[in-house]
Amino acid sequence: MTPIETALGLVFQWDVMVAIVSAALFGLAVGAIPGLTATMATALLVPITFFMAPVPAVGMMVTCAAMAIFAGDIPGALLRIPGTPASAAYTDEAYAMTRKGQAELALGANLLFSALGGLFGTAVLILAAPTLAEIALKFSSFEYFWMALLGLTCAVFIGARHPVKGLVSLFIGLFVASIGLGNPAAVPRFTFGSTDLLAGIDFIPAMIGLFAVSEVLRAMAQGAPRWTIDQTSMGNPFRGWGRLVRTYWRQQIRGNLIGTGIGALPGSGADIGAWVAYATARKFSRTPEKFGTGHLEGIVESTSANNSALSSAWIPALVFGIPGDTITAIVIGVLYVKGMNPGPTLFLFQPQNVYAVFLIFIAANLLLIPLGWAAIKLARRILTVPRTILMPIILAFCIVGAFASSNSSYGIIVMAVFGVLGFLMEENDIPVAPCILGIVIGPMLEKHFITSMIKSDGDLLAFFDRPIAAALGAATLAIWLWPVAMRAWRGRSAPAHRNLETGSQEEGDS
Amino acid sequence: MRVSDATLGGGLVIFAIALAGYSQTFPDIPGQSYGAALFPTLVALGFAGCGVTLIVQGAGHGEPLLVRADWAREPRAMLAVSGTVLGMAAYIVLAPEIGFVPTMVALLMILFALTRVRWWVALPLALVATLAIEKVFADLLLVPLPLGLMPRLPW
Repeated sequence: MTPIETALGLVFQWDVMVAIVSAALFGLAVGAIPGLTATMATALLVPITFFMAPVPAVGMMVTCAAMAIFAGDIPGALLRIPGTPASAAYTDEAYAMTRKGQAELALGANLLFSALGGLFGTAVLILAAPTLAEIALKFSSFEYFWMALLGLTCAVFIGARHPVKGLVSLFIGLFVASIGLGNPAAVPRFTFGSTDLLAGIDFIPAMIGLFAVSEVLRAMAQGAPRWTIDQTSMGNPFRGWGRLVRTYWRQQIRGNLIGTGIGALPGSGADIGAWVAYATARKFSRTPEKFGTGHLEGIVESTSANNSALSSAWIPALVFGIPGDTITAIVIGVLYVKGMNPGPTLFLFQPQNVYAVFLIFIAANLLLIPLGWAAIKLARRILTVPRTILMPIILAFCIVGAFASSNSSYGIIVMAVFGVLGFLMEENDIPVAPCILGIVIGPMLEKHFITSMIKSDGDLLAFFDRPIAAALGAATLAIWLWPVAMRAWRGRSAPAHRNLETGSQEEGDS
Repeated sequence: MRVSDATLGGGLVIFAIALAGYSQTFPDIPGQSYGAALFPTLVALGFAGCGVTLIVQGAGHGEPLLVRADWAREPRAMLAVSGTVLGMAAYIVLAPEIGFVPTMVALLMILFALTRVRWWVALPLALVATLAIEKVFADLLLVPLPLGLMPRLPW
């Protein structure tokens, strides 16, 4: 049997299908609730996947994330609160459409272009990943070091409001990653005699803490107020799809390309893709004055971008083991648990599992259309569940999920500590995502760094000796120097820039 | 709770010094000049760099050292946040002794009280949620949730 036939056999089984559909429903519900992100949905699924075979486990994560990213658009349009950060770029625009009574048009476009974007990203993943894997087989510790550093650099600098605070978050993650025995010298570090800490900080409860518990704490601080919905009745979201594609095919393709490109960069994902695509749509629009008044153009481009970024973020994750975004960071943890260690050899030794993941990507994006339709119809009901009831129950799930990761209270302690840490970080405008990527990429960065230093006997120029390493290194350094160059440029054209900024602020408010 | 940039920077510099100092106690890989100390030392350098930048950036603004966020001025919100954190801590201590079901019901009741859900709504909700989680995690997924004083549930 060819690997593709085996993969088909692995995917089309009733238990895999049940797992995927339930993950889809879970993802839609979590994504549709403001404040609960796609990353959080994926993190909460992890404890359940411990008990499953590799293909349904990974399938659940793929489907859940795709659904949650789309569902994040629903509260964005109805309440002006983005369900996930990836929807934040066009929340104001979609809400403006809702106020004009066009919620079904906005959400219908979100659904259509999300599914198409996801399929586009999947196509790129299927075509690019095996080729890249062949190249990656020739990589040495120098290339891996630069790839890891490039990922972390993108996470901090691209689309960041405060690069310094992003760096603080990253160093917190790298410090956490250095706790325990898992370093090239196998010396216990920062364990202070604790046997639990010898194995390092367990990534999954840390993740549940940073994303879910911190959000529960935030909601508790605000007294978990109810949401109010403006548009009471909802028309048919499928109406006018043909016309949408004919009118906005340029925006769609551009959004797909931007999303796929940004998603495939290690360390930057759907959120950044959506912002960049929205800005590009505005820049190239023939009617930029309509942006912010409930205009579909920007929504189409950025919703196409965020779902395609979600799929292409798997390229660096599967090929190099370097997560493209926070969701694939969790997925990498699950892949290791399931014996599907990411890296180029995965394509050599387990092609059937790789193909199965690709098939699930296609299935998930097709499933998005009927389930997304149902979610739009049911959205108002989901949003009437009071948060005062929701938040305590979410915390209960977090506690049990964190416990299940190690079957001991240690997981809950890690979760609670990181929950408070994440809460304090967000209070002080320190983003959480670089910290997560630091925790995941940190051990790999250190391993390849120390190996390279030993190989080159401390000669830093050796890091640029091989052509691919030199190119990756140059790209990384360019991103580092970019803010400095931009500041110098802004310093020269400060008055003109300030005018532009106030102008865009006014339009955004209208 | 919000700290000013300068305070945050100062804290980071102190942490960086401690981190770098402690890292020097780690041994090298035998026969090599690099080992366990190098990476944490670089991380400490990074913290110190960020700290100094934040101090320089924050010094000009004259921000107060510690700003209480809006919620922190309301006693009820303070109570809700600290109650949630203490509730988690209490769960960690008590659940292995008393068992998952009673501790989780109690924790949920406290959280519902903090969000002002009426007790006659809260109690059945807490019971149903706890038992549903018990069923899924302990029974179906075989997670050894602590029994404590509780007998095994009849499923």
